[in-house]
Amino acid sequence: MTLKNLSLKNFRIHKKSDITFSNNLNFIVGGNGQGKTSILEAIYIMCTTKNFKASSDSELTRFGGNEFEIDGKFEDLTEDIIRIYFNKSDNKRYYFQNGKQLNRNAEIIGKFPIVLLTPEDHSLTQGYPAERRKFVDSVICQASELYLSSLLDYNKTLRQRSNLLFRLNENYSSSLIDQLEAWDEKLINTGTELIRFRMKFVLEFEKYVEESFRFIVDDSEKPVIKYDYLNSYSGDSIEEMFKKLLIEKKDEEIRRRSNLVGPHRDDFIFLINENELKIFGSQGQHKTFQVALRFAQYFYLKDKIGRLPIFLLDDVFGELDSKRAIRISQYLKQVGQAFITITDFANFSFLHKEEDDAKLLITNGEVSYA
Amino acid sequence: MNIAEPLLAAIEEFNKFPGIGRKTAQRLALFLLKRNEHEVKNFVNSILDLKSKLHFCGDCFNLATEDKCEVCLSPKRDRSIICVVEEVSDVISIEKSNEFNGLYHVLGGVLNPLSGVHQDDLKIKELIKRASNGETKELILAVNPDTEGETTSLYIAKNVKHLGIKVTRIARGIPIGGDLEFADEATVGRAVLGRIEI
Repeated sequence: MTLKNLSLKNFRIHKKSDITFSNNLNFIVGGNGQGKTSILEAIYIMCTTKNFKASSDSELTRFGGNEFEIDGKFEDLTEDIIRIYFNKSDNKRYYFQNGKQLNRNAEIIGKFPIVLLTPEDHSLTQGYPAERRKFVDSVICQASELYLSSLLDYNKTLRQRSNLLFRLNENYSSSLIDQLEAWDEKLINTGTELIRFRMKFVLEFEKYVEESFRFIVDDSEKPVIKYDYLNSYSGDSIEEMFKKLLIEKKDEEIRRRSNLVGPHRDDFIFLINENELKIFGSQGQHKTFQVALRFAQYFYLKDKIGRLPIFLLDDVFGELDSKRAIRISQYLKQVGQAFITITDFANFSFLHKEEDDAKLLITNGEVSYA
Repeated sequence: MNIAEPLLAAIEEFNKFPGIGRKTAQRLALFLLKRNEHEVKNFVNSILDLKSKLHFCGDCFNLATEDKCEVCLSPKRDRSIICVVEEVSDVISIEKSNEFNGLYHVLGGVLNPLSGVHQDDLKIKELIKRASNGETKELILAVNPDTEGETTSLYIAKNVKHLGIKVTRIARGIPIGGDLEFADEATVGRAVLGRIEI
């Protein structure tokens, strides 16, 4: 799948930009604050309906403007024209596909697979476990509706169960404990399903990360992903472990009025050559791992859904040494369509623009081709 | 706003119905206004009868005109199987299928702590009592397969375990006559996981 054209009206710094893209690599070059990342932002909104920078739609509207518009033409087997219109007075976004208004944003979500690599990805390897769970969940959800439905079911179970724990804390009764046991069983059933899914995913996904590492570094560094579930408790089966842990933690759960056992507290540990990245990793290794995770996501999704996702890389070369940067630029030749922002003051002479790649220069929201 | 009070009151009442918005409520009220008095009386009586002539069956909590419902009174029904459902509307669905010849038990909802519904708010105690009458051999749990429904099934199963009777859950998957291509991926996925040998 490729994005052929993009037109931005009053979007961020862009007053009116009409851009034609290459089907391969699109290098978006410019200084800080000139409107490079805004192009990625617009593409991301079209594919996911979400903003990847935490900003409101009013902030996306060009200073002094009242409305913004994003128009994009996608080409897959057929052509799809997506239009997004926002105006400040309704404070509402309108979505159109091929001229027809869509009632639910959900009709767009998942239609155009996309992978985004940004400087904020440092939290994938350096942040809290929640960031890693979010990453893993979002990748599996993009590939499996069944996982998504189990995840929603599980989250609902958590909400119901925590309410019951709250009541137990206020007013302990044997009848509530009797009911809690049923919720425990439900939590174990759905939670075990999630854990099994994630185990299978990590096993598969690790190979993709390894492959990416081989391209970016070399064979000297071997990445490993360890899935740390149910507090690394040991037992006969997942269900058994789950059950034992719940019994062990019951009093604490009631005292703290929250769900303390289950896949919503799991973590994924990243290692390089058996050393835990979070403890021993250098800045460069962290960055490499983050890049490798996104490339792995790209190729994993490509294989799972049988279509080429769009790849957005925001300022990826900023924090890498030239050796790795060169390797990544070569690795990029293996992906389909990609959009890569680059700041113009650095030396990127190593980047080879092939004939069918495009180089866009952005100055103060104006786009020109180089 | 200057609308005659009786009309306004009728609109407000219709507005309380599920699925009825303000505009539809107004249409319904104006429609009644145009009917003759006899027709309106019939309508009002049929509504009053709902409350005065119908009540819940003492055994299964299905709708009944007598102390017990027609299903429970019928000598033709198999008294060894009880099908457990959430609401009276589920009884109607299953009755229409003509595939079930046992008895029912209407729970009146499912466990939902967030909405303040607990086991004592449902007819679960009554179900356990019925199931232990010696006559019952099987419970079919036919509650909705959502988070709360499944937990309610698990709760019932746990509490009748000591009786040693068979507890089953209705199958889920692709609707009959439904094309695989039109079912959503999660349903198809579950149907594949829950496949049966033929």
